[in-house]
Amino acid sequence: MSTEAKKQIIDVGDGAAIPRKSDRGLFTAWRIAFFGAIGTIAYLVWSRPDPYLNIIKFVPDGIAVTFQVTLGAILLAIVIGLITGLGRISKNRFFNGVASLYVEVIRGIPLLVQIFYIYYALGTIVKVPAILSAIIAMAVCYGAYMGEVVRAGIESIAKGQREAALSLGMNGRQTMIHVILPQAVKVILPPVGNEFIALLKDSSLVSIIAVADLLRRGREYASESFTYFETYTVIALIYLIITLFFSKIIGVMEERVSVNK
Amino acid sequence: MKALRTLTAVLALGLCFVSAAFAAPKAITVASDATWPPMEFVDANKKIVGFDIDFMTAVAKEAGLQVTFKNTAWDGIFAGVEAGQYDAIISSVTITPERQAKYDFTTPYVQIGQILVVPKAEKGTKIADLKGKKVGAQIGTTGAMEVKKVAGVELKTYDEVGLAFEDMAAGRIAGVVCDEPTAITYALQKKEYSSKFKIVGKSFTKEAYGIVVKKGNKELVAQLNKGIAAVQKKKIDAQLKKKWQLK
Repeated sequence: MSTEAKKQIIDVGDGAAIPRKSDRGLFTAWRIAFFGAIGTIAYLVWSRPDPYLNIIKFVPDGIAVTFQVTLGAILLAIVIGLITGLGRISKNRFFNGVASLYVEVIRGIPLLVQIFYIYYALGTIVKVPAILSAIIAMAVCYGAYMGEVVRAGIESIAKGQREAALSLGMNGRQTMIHVILPQAVKVILPPVGNEFIALLKDSSLVSIIAVADLLRRGREYASESFTYFETYTVIALIYLIITLFFSKIIGVMEERVSVNK
Repeated sequence: MKALRTLTAVLALGLCFVSAAFAAPKAITVASDATWPPMEFVDANKKIVGFDIDFMTAVAKEAGLQVTFKNTAWDGIFAGVEAGQYDAIISSVTITPERQAKYDFTTPYVQIGQILVVPKAEKGTKIADLKGKKVGAQIGTTGAMEVKKVAGVELKTYDEVGLAFEDMAAGRIAGVVCDEPTAITYALQKKEYSSKFKIVGKSFTKEAYGIVVKKGNKELVAQLNKGIAAVQKKKIDAQLKKKWQLK
């Protein structure tokens, strides 16, 4: 496949489209969405400060919690994903079996149920703070998906690379660390970016265990002021802005990595 | 043939409307968040039961209404009546000035108050004694608003009050505030909790429940008020209070 053709492949993920190099020009979809959302919020606050400004003032600590949960979970999920991915391609039967079982079980259970389970069921044994158990639940769930991404990334590297490294006298471990993984990272990064954005949105589910994230702050405001429509409009726009912001960062990171493709 | 079928359909439909207008009692849908025992909850047969449900059924009977209940999450239950997804709410809704500004209420039908439930080891007797600790309540309830008023206490809101009690059983929060009848059910009557929790002090607010309808639906309010008056006159509400062990 030519370099040009490769650039045309766009990940269809569960989140905002990650901007590509080819999306140049003044009116890209990303810019319209991002500045449109910011402009809409600014206009609403300016035109009707009564509900809208109050909502904006009420939710910032919720945004901080959403960030904490998302970033904590993604870092942990990448570690779990790397281990799981290596396990899935391992020839060691035990390691492979454990990793495969983990992926199959976790992928088959809804995230909401997992969050509930980790918080309330495990809570009876070990007392974990809500926010930490939220991070663990999200990381355990997304670690399974990430494991599959890592596995696919490693398997996409041509066999010859491994054979060449081995014939140069590297052992299996060196081959993986110095030859296979650096190449796999390029392949893995775009889908990881997608997972990241999906995780950010799914972090709203943790409001079920009384973590005061963006969604719960919004719901608290709405349920006291009875301004449901207005509050959820603002919450949706804030989620959109955060998501688009991160999709841009991921886009830039991808460009960096793919410079010498 | 087709024309004939259409004609029959139109006739049947027309007949339905006519009969509905004249004969059958007016049918209304009433929303309830069935997570609030003993006022409204789902029993072992997956049926919504409780004092409010029995009371509403009695009121509807007196007022000549046909009532269907709809189990609805508390979070957004008011938005639903505003959007016309159901005609009324009976769900232990305290009449407050803020709510009255947005929705119409019937006459009050039960007097209750907020009360604090804590773990057995706790020495404090009011919310202010729990400074620096977390206190739970169901989101958007008067209980949550009471906790919020106390400076230095962190309010944790839950989708259902049962989850707050579960969190207290796990030792994550130091107290739960909710309506007295519900507190009694969870703290004293539930086997898993009665050895762990106690109710402290007396109820510290004076509140009354009302049935909620959409703002401006005067006709339904009048009809329901008539039903409530009849139920109270016949002392049916006293019997129901006894049945559901309310004070």
